[in-house]
Amino acid sequence: MADVTVVGSGIFLRGSIQGDGDLEIRGRVEGDIGVAGEVTIADGALVKADISGRRITVRGAVAGNLTGEEAVRLEGGARVVGDLRAAAIGIAEGALLRGNVQTEKPASQKAAARSGARAERPAPARAETRKAANNGAARRGAAAEERAAPPPPVVPALKKGARAALRKRAR
Amino acid sequence: MAGTVIAQGITIEGELTSDDDVLIQGTLRGKLVTKESVSIENGATVEADIAASSLSVGGQIRGNVTAKDRVDLMPGARLIGDVKASRLTIADGASFKGNVDMDV
Repeated sequence: MADVTVVGSGIFLRGSIQGDGDLEIRGRVEGDIGVAGEVTIADGALVKADISGRRITVRGAVAGNLTGEEAVRLEGGARVVGDLRAAAIGIAEGALLRGNVQTEKPASQKAAARSGARAERPAPARAETRKAANNGAARRGAAAEERAAPPPPVVPALKKGARAALRKRAR
Repeated sequence: MAGTVIAQGITIEGELTSDDDVLIQGTLRGKLVTKESVSIENGATVEADIAASSLSVGGQIRGNVTAKDRVDLMPGARLIGDVKASRLTIADGASFKGNVDMDV
């Protein structure tokens, strides 16, 4: 045993799980999960958390976004409400998903994301929600790029008259 | 095998409530409550108040410990905090700083 961390079926954990090992969850977790290894959400588990890991396999219920460095797999019986994002995404028959799906390496370029996303989109999400979520994802992507870029100018670019309006509001 | 294992390299922050055994080899910060036994292995770091039926310590704890049954400090254990238990053993080589309440 030793290497893999197990949150047993009788467990309720509220908080965060971080680190670099594998993780298996059979109980209830609310909070935040980020590990470097594989994450398995077992059948009967109940997770309310954003999850990131190298590979994520879900057989239980998850409310939260799943981000896999390599892959996210939803097995039969999985119930997921949240967005999936990974280089490879598999959704088996019998898995339920509500959310946006994006096949992309979390850190890779946007162009690659666009082609990847067009190639495979197995999410049974409704068109409007997908569109809205896509916009959100694009915005998030833009934000990430901004963060990577050199620091923005010290003086924020405000619209003409906005500063005066702000000052007025402050008063 | 214990129901829940916190392996080496993993850090859990928050409140952990359990019905079965907990084995800690990694890091736990916050609070741990279980109806069964807790075992904190050599190399583990715990900064949490712990309530359990029994507790065996080989690693480091900073926090108060309450055990319904017993607390065992193994050689190499390091406990800073108060202990409330009906039985307590401290092995040679364990370090402990805190109060003991054994309901005499």
